[in-house]
Amino acid sequence: MKSFCCMEGNRIGETGLSDSGPSNQHIAYGVLHEITPSATNFLDQQGSAFEFGELEEALVPKLLQGVGIRNDENKKSLFTSRPPTLEIFPSWPMRFQLTPGGKSQSAESTDSGSAQNTESPISRRTSDQSTEQHQEKLEQMASDSSRKGPQNHQPKTLEKRKGADSGSKILDAKTLRRLAQNREAARKSRLRKKAYVQQLESSRIKLTQLQQELQRARSQGLFLAGGGGGAGGNISNGAAIFDMEYSRWVEENQRHMSELRGGFHAHLSDANLRVIVDGCLAHYDEIFRLKNMAAKSDVFHLITGIWATPAERCFLWMGGFRPSELVKVLMPQLDPLTEHQLMGICNLQHSSQEAEEALSQGYEALQQSLAETIARGPVSDATHIGDYMGQMVIALGKLTNLEGFVCQADNLRQQTLHQMRQILTVRQAARCFLAIGEYYSRLRALSSLWVSRPRENLISDDNNACQTSTDLHMVQSTHNHFSTF
Amino acid sequence: MHYQTESWGAYMASRAGSDPLERVERLASENALVIFSISTCCMCHAIKRLFCGMGVNPTVYELDEDPRGKEIEKALMRLLGSSSAVPVVFIGGKLVGAMDRVMASHINGTLVPLLKEAGALWL
Repeated sequence: MKSFCCMEGNRIGETGLSDSGPSNQHIAYGVLHEITPSATNFLDQQGSAFEFGELEEALVPKLLQGVGIRNDENKKSLFTSRPPTLEIFPSWPMRFQLTPGGKSQSAESTDSGSAQNTESPISRRTSDQSTEQHQEKLEQMASDSSRKGPQNHQPKTLEKRKGADSGSKILDAKTLRRLAQNREAARKSRLRKKAYVQQLESSRIKLTQLQQELQRARSQGLFLAGGGGGAGGNISNGAAIFDMEYSRWVEENQRHMSELRGGFHAHLSDANLRVIVDGCLAHYDEIFRLKNMAAKSDVFHLITGIWATPAERCFLWMGGFRPSELVKVLMPQLDPLTEHQLMGICNLQHSSQEAEEALSQGYEALQQSLAETIARGPVSDATHIGDYMGQMVIALGKLTNLEGFVCQADNLRQQTLHQMRQILTVRQAARCFLAIGEYYSRLRALSSLWVSRPRENLISDDNNACQTSTDLHMVQSTHNHFSTF
Repeated sequence: MHYQTESWGAYMASRAGSDPLERVERLASENALVIFSISTCCMCHAIKRLFCGMGVNPTVYELDEDPRGKEIEKALMRLLGSSSAVPVVFIGGKLVGAMDRVMASHINGTLVPLLKEAGALWL
């Protein structure tokens, strides 16, 4: 009877319980269900002699021993999830096959004592007695021509046989009760499984939503703390801190801008306006202080300008704006200027340009020196380790100078803003700071528009269109502010 | 710009033993615009380019090219109260400062008058 190898839906192997089978079967089955060898050996030993139901009954305790299951629930789930290979009597109709959520009705509709109920647990039976009986029975099965039908008969004959034995009536009742309990537990298990699957589905939907949001946020050029420049690379502590502080600074700056605007429209006195203007200037001092600290921990982060939006970045000079450029941009906004003031502004632009030039040349000298250090020695062959390390040490020393240059550049920016404040009257200075604020607002809006511009290969064109219209609206509002001057 | 090398060495030899800070003051007063520098320092290079760009001719002392340069370096560090001695600028014998002070004074418009006053810049 070793031929009752699993035929239908066999996932494990063809051998079933052939000679080499048991090990295969039990390994595979064990893999699936973490069942210890003892259980499946039992299967092998008893298998051929047992009617299916009896087999199940005998098998479960062993299985449970092996897996170490303690409670009912797990038992049931073990059965509900077992593969069809456990259906080792393929000659029996496939209504044995457990389909998710489907089978319970038909199983329950059959004879309650039916051992075909695949979820039924099996009580341990006294093996000798059963072996005899089942041996007889199996022979009967073998000789029986219509194998398809007998499932309804067999349990009954089984019951009769059971009835014939003394003391087995009690067992029947117990068995019945247990079978009923197990059916119930199996039903609950199916419901749990259904709930779990539903949870998985909703989580999946939520995940895709979050991914979309993230994609949108990234494309807008928003740089969240620790988010870096979209490259997803490692971001240093100092850089992350600076990014966070910078975004906070930008928000604060917006507040200062609204205060200024409000002050203007309210026609505040010069004295009152001065307070607000000086507040703005102090706020700029704050960003230079923050950049100074950031330069000490991660100068490269500042130099690459990842913290700024793309459009701002294209004007980047030594980790920030170019002072002479800003003065040039602001000049038309400051009219009317006195002769003296005009000269002052022109001198400012000129001197900042000279200073920028000097710093740039010094920076280039540093780059050249660094390149020479790295390139020293034979490049094609491996250099001697001592030389290599020596080279690295020198190069490291040169890199430390970068911090100095970025700090000097920031110093230049700060001095330029202070000088502007010196040259201008309070009202002019107010307009000046507002103009600076608006200018950078526009650059940020431009960045936003740029990254969300419609492109052919993008699928989510609707999203882009929405974003674009929002950004246009934003630009429109800033334009209105600007035009009040 | 002109570099004091020959006379620098001779001068130093004849003044052996005198206080480095005194020496600095003495050197600074000898020319309208004096810069103490180190030949390999890139910031020093930047400051030199700044003055040349303005059309000024500074007198540069390279501390790494002098046997007693180390002493001067230390003295300058104490004077400035900073960890880097160079570059440091004297105009008309008076201390202006390091790079940041020089740039600040250029931006606020005080550098050019100072240079003119000291005779380092005409026009």
